[in-house]
Amino acid sequence: MKRDEIIVGMVIFLFGAATALLSLRMPIGTFRMAGTGLFPLCLGILLMILSAAFVLKLFLQHKKIFTPKETIVKAPGTIKQIVLFVGTLGLATLFFNKLGYPLIAFLLIVALLRILGMKRWTWNILLSLVTAITSYFLFVQWLKIPLPKGWIGL
Amino acid sequence: MLESLQHLATGFTIAATIHNLFYCLMGTIVGTLIGVLPGIGPIAGIALLIPATFGLHPTSAIIMLAGIYYGAMYGGSTTSILLNVPGETASVITCIDGYQMAQKGRAGPALAICAIGSFIAGTIGLFGLVFLAPPLAQAALAFGPPEYFSLMVFGFVVLSNVTGASLLKALMMAIVGLIIGTIGLDPVTGDARFTFGSIYLLGGIEFVAVAIGLFGIGEVLINVEKPAGMLEQRVLIPRLRELYPTLRDIKRSIGPILRGAGIGFGVGLVPGPAPVIATYSSYMIERKISKTPDDFGKGAIEGVAGPESANNSACQAAFIPLFVLGIPFAPPTAILLGALLIHGVSPGPLMISLHPGLFWGVVASMYIGNFILLVLNLPFVPLFANILRIPKKILLPLIILFCITGMFTVNNSVFDIWVMLLLGGIGFLMRKWAYEGAPLLLALVLGPKLEVAFRQSLMISHGDFGFFFNRPISMAFLLATMIFLVIPLIRVIFKKTMKGGGRQ
Repeated sequence: MKRDEIIVGMVIFLFGAATALLSLRMPIGTFRMAGTGLFPLCLGILLMILSAAFVLKLFLQHKKIFTPKETIVKAPGTIKQIVLFVGTLGLATLFFNKLGYPLIAFLLIVALLRILGMKRWTWNILLSLVTAITSYFLFVQWLKIPLPKGWIGL
Repeated sequence: MLESLQHLATGFTIAATIHNLFYCLMGTIVGTLIGVLPGIGPIAGIALLIPATFGLHPTSAIIMLAGIYYGAMYGGSTTSILLNVPGETASVITCIDGYQMAQKGRAGPALAICAIGSFIAGTIGLFGLVFLAPPLAQAALAFGPPEYFSLMVFGFVVLSNVTGASLLKALMMAIVGLIIGTIGLDPVTGDARFTFGSIYLLGGIEFVAVAIGLFGIGEVLINVEKPAGMLEQRVLIPRLRELYPTLRDIKRSIGPILRGAGIGFGVGLVPGPAPVIATYSSYMIERKISKTPDDFGKGAIEGVAGPESANNSACQAAFIPLFVLGIPFAPPTAILLGALLIHGVSPGPLMISLHPGLFWGVVASMYIGNFILLVLNLPFVPLFANILRIPKKILLPLIILFCITGMFTVNNSVFDIWVMLLLGGIGFLMRKWAYEGAPLLLALVLGPKLEVAFRQSLMISHGDFGFFFNRPISMAFLLATMIFLVIPLIRVIFKKTMKGGGRQ
């Protein structure tokens, strides 16, 4: 786990370095008359210093003094579930405007229920339908929120 | 003093309109539901419901959001007692004796004492707020850019010091939050920064997306990973007739309630996760002064009454720096600051004089909200507890749909949903590696203010950093910051020395 911690520390260091480098492309000015890039440049450098100190601290430790709350990966099934879950959210966002809110709400719930282990299709579809209709009436009809209508035009 | 009471009376006339009472009631009920559901804490709850307040008058909107905040804190205690699962971090202490009481069939009195204690603490907190906020606002007028800068730096360091396992990690997250806060237009020159030519990034990263992503989606993903059906089997649901505490319970609780209220109010005024520190301090003090300290951890009602009162009081006191200085010291109040800004209200020393209706209306509504929680929530405890029986596989998709809908509503932008999902993924990984989201969120909200204060100070002083130390208030905050940074180092050195001594 210490190796993971070091990698995370390095990623944060790179984020700080990227911030500093991108800031240098902006006008820096002087401390008397700070330019657009001065503040993010200072932050980038500060983040690099902190993350370097963090990584160095981990390197210097001979034994693991810190254990994260949970392990990163629990079981292959869990990873698959997380990937499917996140993938479904990505797909729903991608087609949010095109398919429209009511249809996306229905399809999203159907997919997420299935991923989370609702095996019976009848219950799944019924629950998704009820959720989609309720949320449509709540957000679109009652609260008058202009959600995408999509090709079904609702 | 009399003037404050007169203003408070005006506040009650504003808060007690049917319209505002309705939103207060809605806020407290929805907040309780959010608090009861493990995973959706007050931060995600308030962030999720900000879009629902867009059509409302700013006063009604803040009344509703403040109600959600209280309700969520109260709901968190319910799950702590009935399920041994804290709905939010401030309820962790309540788990210790609250759950033990529930195990002994005394869940009802524990829940009742929570509500009564919260109400009494809320009343004390209200008077503290009424009498302290106006003079503090006057004093805050003496704050210039260097004082604001030093105060905000102090706030970040204190919050980083007391949250999570590692100060370095928390500080890194605060810096990341500040960097994310620089995306968009430069607050001083108006030039675009880190936008990469995208018009979506010109307005900066939507803080609601960060809040819902880190605290809502991140938590849902953590729950997806956990085995199914973990929670719903263990719920202890008290019957209505078992809810009322005995006279002996009340006698034993009154001292801890009053002490908890005092501790909570004091802690709430300083930067940091006030409710967490307040509940912990209250519990420790009650155990220390108790004649029967051995009862603590085995179902002592004092261990529930004190921390719960401290929790409520700290929440109330946390509004003082928000309203008076415009600086939130904790993530929930940071979200409320964002909501205030969305509604065109800029909190600060002039807020009480510029928006008296909003300030006093919200203050009065806090009291009404506490009363609603006391009267309504107690009889509905069995109902709220039943919500915990909804299987996770049904609950999580509903939360996700609500997150996506709420996020789209903020700017009618799918781009914001992408940002929310990205931050959700990052939030999930942050939890895995024990990085706290609170410093990041607070830094994101305060980042532009901090930058403006920093640059203005340097402009005034012609680039002289000594300016921050020449002004007494600013110097005091910076000295306090140094102390908070040095304390963990001293602690480490002390521990190492002790270990070395032990070996010899």
